[in-house]
Amino acid sequence: MKKANKGQFWGRVCGNKSATGKGQCFYKITLEFEGQAAKAFAKAVPGQFAEIDLSKTSLPAAEKIPEGLKDACKRDIILRRPFSFCDITTKGNKTIVEILYCVVGPASLRMTTLKAGDTVNIIGPLGNGFSIPKDKKTALLVSGGMGSPPLQHLADYLVKNNPKINVLTFAGARTKEHFPFNPKRFTKQKIETIITTDDGSAGLKGFVSEHLERWIEKSGQKESEMIIYACGPEAMLARVAEIANSSNIECQISMERRMACGIGVCQGCAVECRLEGSSETVYKMCCTDGPVFDAKEVVF
Amino acid sequence: MNNKVDISVEFAGLKLANPVFLASGTCGYADELADFMDLNRLGGFITKSITLKPRKGNPDPRIVETDAGMLNAIGLANIGLERFTKEKLPILRKMSASGTAVFVSAAGETIEEYAAIIERLSEEKAIAGFELNISCPNVKMGGISFGTEPATVEEITETAKKAAGEKILMVKLAPAVTDISAIARAAIDGGADALSLINTFTAMVIDIETARPALANRTGGLSGPAIKPIAVYLVNKVYREAAQKANIPILGMGGIRTASDAIEFMIAGATAVAVGTGNFLEPDCAEKIADGIGKYCVRKKLIKISELVGSLK
Repeated sequence: MKKANKGQFWGRVCGNKSATGKGQCFYKITLEFEGQAAKAFAKAVPGQFAEIDLSKTSLPAAEKIPEGLKDACKRDIILRRPFSFCDITTKGNKTIVEILYCVVGPASLRMTTLKAGDTVNIIGPLGNGFSIPKDKKTALLVSGGMGSPPLQHLADYLVKNNPKINVLTFAGARTKEHFPFNPKRFTKQKIETIITTDDGSAGLKGFVSEHLERWIEKSGQKESEMIIYACGPEAMLARVAEIANSSNIECQISMERRMACGIGVCQGCAVECRLEGSSETVYKMCCTDGPVFDAKEVVF
Repeated sequence: MNNKVDISVEFAGLKLANPVFLASGTCGYADELADFMDLNRLGGFITKSITLKPRKGNPDPRIVETDAGMLNAIGLANIGLERFTKEKLPILRKMSASGTAVFVSAAGETIEEYAAIIERLSEEKAIAGFELNISCPNVKMGGISFGTEPATVEEITETAKKAAGEKILMVKLAPAVTDISAIARAAIDGGADALSLINTFTAMVIDIETARPALANRTGGLSGPAIKPIAVYLVNKVYREAAQKANIPILGMGGIRTASDAIEFMIAGATAVAVGTGNFLEPDCAEKIADGIGKYCVRKKLIKISELVGSLK
């Protein structure tokens, strides 16, 4: 997939509401772009991301600030925050970008107060997304908790653009409360989804990586015809990478780091990577070298 | 009303279209920023610090947001002199051709290393000068250890100036020293053509859930609006106690995000200013600041922007 043009743009908020219908933690915001921005985001591919300026966005009313974030909400927002996309569609000459997010700190909490008609400043699309090799027959998408959005995007993208690939998704979370989407519906397209929870409160009990491993063992498919795409907590990615590397299955993982700029100038988002044919390692940048990395190169 | 006020400045003999620089370490080698701003509108540009050999940098996490600022501990990660000359000089040549003063920030573990980098680049036409980074708080050897002793500062500046030949040598000062003016005078005595200040303050953020530092390096350099009033004070102090008498220009920096911030530094004594952390939120803020300075000059009926420099009453 070719890298899209990028820039600093304004987007208009079309909607921003709870993504699961229950709880206050997961939200989906829909942004609409026109002109150059619409063109740039229409070319964005799954796994890319954008940096949103939330420094001027207001906090919710004091009584709506969760107890655990009250202290953090006293400070100003100095840096943008990176978000992946869970869907991108075009409508006439407009591009609609959907972002699924979780309230984890003072910036994402501010994001919940954006409402239809507001504008947000956004830098994107950034980084390198997932790539789709031509020789694969089965794509296994493995998400853990809040790692699902870029894979939801990828699942829809594959169904639309690579109909010959059989897509199977594994969506795991700690409990049934920790899915940022309705577990019955991973994507807009009809795709087989295996739901797992660590405590067994929904779907299969156990880590998503265990179920992936069992499925691969039972599938009888040629390793060279499969590809794994994964996004989620680092411990889960490490295990998925281990499974993929030991069985020689190509695997792309989307990493997460704190970022200041998102465009490669601050050098803040280091991911330790192996150098081919050497025992030495280097730090690659999550924003410009990633966020999607080959599972073989990342040092966990 | 005349809206075309002249905001060009003379900085250590260079004629700059405007007084706004991008600060080292916040603008890469320029190519990364080309999609987000008009690089040709910059007064000056300072590259990420270059060392003789490539440096891997510190482990992750390298950054953390703080109250009104951020900490970074990148550890001078850079591609090294060889790759820099091969890969990055072309875009810097383009910028230089359009009138932007390009400075290369040099860092090293020994005085000889600084001199070797500068000597190697001293014939390059696109480079207006060098910024001597003797104040990086995030590396064990070199960096700030060179910048805290007046005698060492004078020695390293003298050696670097010899290596720089006709090029401008600017020395970047560390803020947390007993007497910053003594360091500034040492740099001037060593032959510095300009001073840039301030670098970041060594600082720490602790995660109270784990009782561990937020950064892998434990400490990092504090930048952003939190340090601005201290930076303004230090610029004014160095201006009054060292730079003005010696007729050495100051490049002021520390938390600048707006034209008002920049003007404050100029009134304090800075001939030009640099934007650092502000670039991360607004990659085009240098352009906006240059425009804002122009508007201020019109409103204040200033003919030359240089009237502002050191105009503190």
